[in-house]
Amino acid sequence: MKKRLISTLLILSMTAAMAAGCSGKESSSDSNTGGTGGASSDTTASDDGADGEGGSITFMAPDWAIPTDDQLKAFTDETGIEVTVNEVGWDDIRDKMVTAAAGGQAVADVVEVDWSWVGEFYAADWLEPLDVSDEVKADMPTLETFTKDGNVLAIPYANDYRLSYYNTKQYEDAEIKEEPQTWDEVYANCKTLKEKGVCDYPFALPLNAEEKTSTYLMWLAYTMNGIVFNDDGTLNKDSVLAALKYEEQLIKDELVDPADKTSSGMDAYKRILSGSANFLTGPTSFVSKSTNEEDCSVIGQITPILVPGKDAKATVTMALPEALGVTKFSENKDAAKKFIEWYTSAEMQEALNETNTAIPTLNSVLKKLIDDGKIQNAGAMMEQAELIASPFPGGVPSYYAEMSNAMYNAINKMALGEMTADEAYAEMEAKVAELAAE
Amino acid sequence: MRKKILPYLLLSPMILIMGVLVFYPIIATFSYSLKKWKLTAPNDIHMVGLRNYAAILKSDSFWYSFQNTLFILAVVVLLTTVLGFLTSIFLNIDVKWSGILLAVAMLPWALPPYVNGILWKFVFSSGYGFMNKAVIGLGLAGKPIEWLSSRWSLLLIVSLVVTWRSIPFTALVCLAGRQSIPGGLYEAARIDGGNRRTIFRTITLPLMLPFLAIGITSTSVTAINVFDEIIALSGYSDLGKNILVESYMTTFSFLDFGKGSAVTYLVMLFAGILGIFYLRSLNKEVEY
Repeated sequence: MKKRLISTLLILSMTAAMAAGCSGKESSSDSNTGGTGGASSDTTASDDGADGEGGSITFMAPDWAIPTDDQLKAFTDETGIEVTVNEVGWDDIRDKMVTAAAGGQAVADVVEVDWSWVGEFYAADWLEPLDVSDEVKADMPTLETFTKDGNVLAIPYANDYRLSYYNTKQYEDAEIKEEPQTWDEVYANCKTLKEKGVCDYPFALPLNAEEKTSTYLMWLAYTMNGIVFNDDGTLNKDSVLAALKYEEQLIKDELVDPADKTSSGMDAYKRILSGSANFLTGPTSFVSKSTNEEDCSVIGQITPILVPGKDAKATVTMALPEALGVTKFSENKDAAKKFIEWYTSAEMQEALNETNTAIPTLNSVLKKLIDDGKIQNAGAMMEQAELIASPFPGGVPSYYAEMSNAMYNAINKMALGEMTADEAYAEMEAKVAELAAE
Repeated sequence: MRKKILPYLLLSPMILIMGVLVFYPIIATFSYSLKKWKLTAPNDIHMVGLRNYAAILKSDSFWYSFQNTLFILAVVVLLTTVLGFLTSIFLNIDVKWSGILLAVAMLPWALPPYVNGILWKFVFSSGYGFMNKAVIGLGLAGKPIEWLSSRWSLLLIVSLVVTWRSIPFTALVCLAGRQSIPGGLYEAARIDGGNRRTIFRTITLPLMLPFLAIGITSTSVTAINVFDEIIALSGYSDLGKNILVESYMTTFSFLDFGKGSAVTYLVMLFAGILGIFYLRSLNKEVEY
C-alpha cells in the first residue's frame, strides 16, 4: 500500500513538474530560445527588475555591441524602457534567430543584423522596417547595405569598410619611395620586398574556406574594376576573373604565406601587426590595432591608405557593417525602435567609440572623432569612408550564404593547387548563376 | 484491472517524454523532408514527396560528404576498437596507481569536442604547429608541411582526433566487461591446460564481444556525428565535410529546411542500420 502511495505521488509530482515546464507566460524578456549553443549571459538595465512605464525590451548582440550599465540606465531613465541584454557570441546569433523565427518566435526584440544576413532576413520577412530621417540617410553611407526595396531593415552601428595598410619602414628598407596607387604597383612592390629579403610573404590574403575569403575577392574585384555582380545577380566575368587571377599570381609567386590557406582570415590579416606581412586591405579596426601595444609589435610603421585601384586609387570601397534591427515577431516594436534610434544617435556613437571602440557609421561623428584626435593614426580613414558603396546592384541577395560558400570553397581549392583560376571561376559562376536564376 | 493499469501509469511520464522529445521530432523531421521549405521563400512551402531525397542522392556534394564520412568511420572504428581494447587490458592490471591511471586515461573523453579540435589544430597548424616544429627540428622536412591542406591527410587527422576522444569510453566499457568475467573460468581453463593465447581466444574475447559491440556502436555513432572537430580543423570547407556538416550547412546556413531534414533523415537511417548490424552480429550468447 505504502509503495503504491509513493509511486502515485512520484507520478503526480513528475507530471506536475512537466506541466510546469511546458507552460508559463511567454514574456519578451525570456526569449532566449536556445539554438546551437555558445556562451550567453543576461543582464537587465534596471536594478529592481520591475517593468518600467515605457515597457521592456530584450536586446541580443555580441559582446562588442553591449552598452555599459550607465549608458543603459540613462536610456531607461530617459524613456522608461527597461532593456534586458542577452550577450551572445556573434556566430550564434544568426542560428538563434533562424531557430526562433522558424517557429514564429522573437529571439529578442532588438537583434544584431550583419550586412551579410540582411538579404535572407528580408526574404524570410523577419525584420520590421524602420524609419530614418533624410538627414541620417545622407550622413550614413552604410545604410544602403541594409535597405531593400526602399525599406530600411536595420541601422548600422559599427562601421567596417575596407581600407589599405602598408608597413612604411619595410618600404624604406626596400628603397620603395611611394605608397602604392594601383594593384599592379602593390604586386610589383611585394615582389621587390621579397626579392630584397625584407619580407618573405608581404601580402596578407585570407585563403581559408571561410567568409573572409569570399569578401576579399569581392572587394578586390570591386576596387579593381568597379563591378562584381551584373544586374541579374550573376558574376561579372571580366572583373571577378581578373581578381582571381591576381590572387593566383600572388600565390604562385609565394608572396602569400602558405599558412594563410588554412589559418583563419583574421590570422591572415593580423600578420601585418607582427611585420610578417607588408600590405593588407582589411577592416577599419586595424587603425586602432596598429597603435595598440597589445595587438601590434610594429607600432608607428603601419599607415592606413586609400585602397588601390586599376589605374589610380579606387573610387569605391566595400563596407561590411553591423547593424541593429527589430524582429517582426517582437511584441514591443515601438520600444525596440526607440532603443535603436537612441543607440545609433550621434551622441551614442561618440560614446560607444570611447567605451566599445566602435567606429561610427555617421560620417559627421567619424570626422569629429578624427579631428579631435580620439581616433589616432587615422590616415586615409575619413577620405575612404566617403567612398563607401555597395557592390550588390539589388542589395545583398537572399542566397548570400550559399553563394559565399561556393565562392570561398572555389578560392580555397585554387589556393591549394587543386584548380586554376579559370576553373575556380567556372565553378563559382555556375553556382551563382543557378542561385540567381532561382 | 488495477494491476493492468499501474505499469502503464508508471511508464506514462517516460512515454510522454520520449514521445515529445524523440518520436515527435523524428516524425516532424520526416514530414519536413517531404516539403519544399526554404525559409527565405516563406510563401512557397509545399509538399514535394520524395523529390528532396532524389535531389540529394543525385548531388555530387552529398556523395563526396558520404565518402568522407565512410573514411572517418572506418578509421575511427578500427583504431578505437583496437586501442580501446588494449587500453582496457592494461588498465585491468592491478598496480598501485591503477585509479590515477584510469582517471588520466579518461581525460580526453571529458574534453569538449570543439576544444579537442582546437588543441589539435595547434599541433597540426602549418604556420606555428608543434608537428611542423618537430619534423623540421628532427630534420625530416626542410619547410613546414601543410597537414590540413589535402583531403586525405585532413580526414586522417580528423579521424585521429576523434579516435583520441573515443578511446576512453571503449576502454571503460571493455574494462567493465573484462572485470565481469568470473575468475573461476580462467582457473578452470588453466587447470585444463589452456595457455594465454587459448584463454584469450576462447574466454576473454567471446565474453567481451557484447561489450565491444556497445563500444563499436557508440564509436560508430560518434564517427558519423563528427562535427566540432571538423569545423575546428578546417572550418566549413568542402575539403573535409562529412554528411553532418552537409546537413548543418543545408539547414542552418542555406536555410533549406526541406532538403536539410532529408539529409538528417539519411544520416539517421545510416546510423540506425549500422547500429542494428553491429548489435545483431556481435551480441551472441556464449555457452561453456
